[in-house]
Amino acid sequence: MSSPTSIVDLNDASLLARLQDLVAASPVPEAAISEVLQVLQKARGYIDGDALRLAASLTGLSPVRVEELCTFYSLVLREPVGTHVLRICDSIACHMAGAQDILTQARQHSGVDLGEVSRSGKLTVIPHVCIGLCDRAPALMVDDQALGPVDTQTLTRLLAQLEADIWKPS
Amino acid sequence: MKHVFFLDGQEIPFIPGQNVLEAAIAAGKNQQIPYFCFHPALGSLGACRQCAVKMYAHDSKHPPRITMACLLPASDGLQLVTLEDDVHTEHREIIELLMTNHPLDCPVCDEGGQCHLQDMTVQTGHSVRHYSGPKRTYRNQDLGPLVYQEMNRCITCYRCVRFYQDAAQGEDFGVFGSRNRVSFGRLEDGPLESPFSGNLVEVCPTGVFTDKVFRHDYVRVWDLQQGPSVCPHCAVGCNTTPGARLGTLRRIRNRIRPEINGHFLCDRGRYAFPYVTANSRPLQPRLMGETTRQDAVLRQLASRLEEGRSGFLGSPREDLQSNLGLFALADCLHAPFAAVTSSWAEALAQQCLALPQAPSLQEVAAADRIVVIGDLDSIAPMAGFAVRQALRQGARLTVLASSRTELAQKGDYRPLRPSALRDQVAQLADDPCLQGGRFPVLLATAETLGPSGLYALRKTLEKLPANARAGAFVNRPNLFGAAYFAADGHTERLQQALRQRKINHLLCLGADPLGEDWGAGTWRTLAPGLDGLTLLDMVDSETARSAEALIPVAAFPERAGLFVNYEGRIQAFSPVYRREALVLHSAVQGSGFPEAAGGLKHPIGPPPPLFWLGRLAEMLHLHEAWQKRLDFYLHFLCPERPDPEGPGVLLPDTIRARFEIAAVPATRTVTPEQWELDIFRWYGGETLADTADELHSLAPARGLRVHPDVQAVAATLHGPCGDLQLPVIACAEMVQGVIAIDQEGFAELGLYPGDPVEVSWEQRQ
Repeated sequence: MSSPTSIVDLNDASLLARLQDLVAASPVPEAAISEVLQVLQKARGYIDGDALRLAASLTGLSPVRVEELCTFYSLVLREPVGTHVLRICDSIACHMAGAQDILTQARQHSGVDLGEVSRSGKLTVIPHVCIGLCDRAPALMVDDQALGPVDTQTLTRLLAQLEADIWKPS
Repeated sequence: MKHVFFLDGQEIPFIPGQNVLEAAIAAGKNQQIPYFCFHPALGSLGACRQCAVKMYAHDSKHPPRITMACLLPASDGLQLVTLEDDVHTEHREIIELLMTNHPLDCPVCDEGGQCHLQDMTVQTGHSVRHYSGPKRTYRNQDLGPLVYQEMNRCITCYRCVRFYQDAAQGEDFGVFGSRNRVSFGRLEDGPLESPFSGNLVEVCPTGVFTDKVFRHDYVRVWDLQQGPSVCPHCAVGCNTTPGARLGTLRRIRNRIRPEINGHFLCDRGRYAFPYVTANSRPLQPRLMGETTRQDAVLRQLASRLEEGRSGFLGSPREDLQSNLGLFALADCLHAPFAAVTSSWAEALAQQCLALPQAPSLQEVAAADRIVVIGDLDSIAPMAGFAVRQALRQGARLTVLASSRTELAQKGDYRPLRPSALRDQVAQLADDPCLQGGRFPVLLATAETLGPSGLYALRKTLEKLPANARAGAFVNRPNLFGAAYFAADGHTERLQQALRQRKINHLLCLGADPLGEDWGAGTWRTLAPGLDGLTLLDMVDSETARSAEALIPVAAFPERAGLFVNYEGRIQAFSPVYRREALVLHSAVQGSGFPEAAGGLKHPIGPPPPLFWLGRLAEMLHLHEAWQKRLDFYLHFLCPERPDPEGPGVLLPDTIRARFEIAAVPATRTVTPEQWELDIFRWYGGETLADTADELHSLAPARGLRVHPDVQAVAATLHGPCGDLQLPVIACAEMVQGVIAIDQEGFAELGLYPGDPVEVSWEQRQ
């Protein structure tokens, strides 16, 4: 999922209605938390403090419990990201297939630390725990699209496309 | 039948249901099985993989295998081995993994000397780190004034979060991240909100969470003088181990007492101890505000007593022996004596005592139907902790209170005005909240319920099945002891004697009749009739400041004594240390002690109340009679002197029975239009605890708590003894029509919880 072009206000009636529907459809309110976080992240780009508290109050969980979940799942973002998110798998199969080189190259290209938004605002590089493409290691995810195996040349091409805003998911 | 399994060929007895590690620790075999994530009170998790044992099957088909002792249920004849090389290797290598990121800051770590990780590392023989990469590091959080965090030391045993979330049911502490980036803390920096946060220090097997108060005046733990003591900050009487060094108290730790506090303590019990080192604590006798010598103040007091116009006032804040010592002296002089400061408090004490045998906290934790009346956490937090343990086992909780307390959020909450509480308690016998339970328990905060409410509670209990139990809690350690010799009308007689000028001098022990004790408003109006007031106390108070003579007494860890807890359990405590200060030889007249040697240790600790009372009896030539009486009363109440290391002894029912015939307390009717008073407390608040800076820094603001419907910035309350102006604090959790103020406020007004009150609101500009 790429970053939204406009950020939905937390008081937006249709957003709130959608979240409440999710909670109502869930057997217990707490069980709706991952869907609620997904919808909030899609609407706002990342889960900020206010969104976290809203998710907590909707599901009846404490804010700490929601933060536990957010920090456990690396797909949940707690900081703003660039237009595209590049998640590079560094689990064991990808690590053995050279994930560290891919990660270093992507980080150097972005010009900032892992997790930060590049100066152009187009890119955020995040190391990611296993994305289940061990057969295509080293693998990565661009927004919602998984790709692999990736080498330095395909990565260079991919990064150029992302910068030029011409990359399209297949 | 005795159940045993075998560990390295030795018989280990077990109780069915125990796991192998639990049984081995109980049998003192923890030298053979190292462990981390298992905690006797928190159970097994199997996260650390440290407690490996090798299990041999009884047949030849199954080869021996390594398994975790904490996850292996103990069973008869089980053959387990730890003395083989592969088990040793497992122990050593797991420790090495756990130590991968652990900093080598042991020489400066506060946990040194009591570090489970250090003990286990040495025990398993791991000494060389093979990992040479960078260590994972964290930014530490500021968790407030009580607990210090150093996350880099973490070995992710999850004990802290299991304690905080599961056992204490706190909501502001959790575990974040995954993989090797797991951290434990709060959502953001700030003080931990749970009344039990200090236990993190004890459950953490290494130095992630350490005692921040101890840190201010730190000493290596093996240098501490320690001994068995009992917490003086509420009626539960948790067992503690104070630690002192060089004549000052440095910290309080839990002392395991399964019947009462188990493995834990509340933050008031752990962090209120700086009352003994507070600058305001009186250490020298004072006469007319001037520091004086012991004999001068005693002579003055003896001459007062010889006049034969003295009254005696004991206190539920002081221990049993001291109160009895004062009572014996009053008896010898045929002088009026009261153990509490108001008739209301006297009735309250009598109704508390008249309740049948209260359940121990261990029994509360096993209850399946619980009714809590009032804000239990703020009076006796460990009783609230026991309720939480029962909730974990599936107990049904009903909370009757005038405010939606934290405990109320964990069960069915019935918002009730204090006057309605009594009526509700009277009808509990037929209430569905207690139906269908094996073991119903009713727990009341005595002051909120009041004497008539406690009477209603006793009558309800008579209608319930025989196994139903009830307990009443106050934040005084010895109300149940002080009240045993307070017969009907003692306080009234003492006040009457003062009104009729039969007495003109009052000798108080640990009481604050002119400050915040119940009925202080009345005492203030009576005070002009007093020519002199003498106070024996360990804490600065309103009464101490206006007393003619102030006699300092030893704090509880500095002396021996007896407290009677809410169950009527008499517990003894021992002197742990002697208050001393290092002074340079020039400051001690005539001392030739060389300055180069660091000066001289000079005892500055005041003696216990019994010493003072004994000296007084001597000066009045009454010592023999006084001692005889004291011994007789002590023998009467406590024929068997409890051992400070033991579980204490319960007061016999026969002594309890005499309070059942106490006068039936009058009930006050409040109309729905009237504002009603309730008491507001917080978990760290208590007379002694209020002088402990770190804990007191967490105290909520003083004010008048009321439902936000009231649009006012301040209010003036009008009581029979005076007016009280307080800022209004809107509190959405409060029931409408109820005003909650602190005990000091009640004292100023001359009112009691549940009383109607007249209010003038100051409207918003």
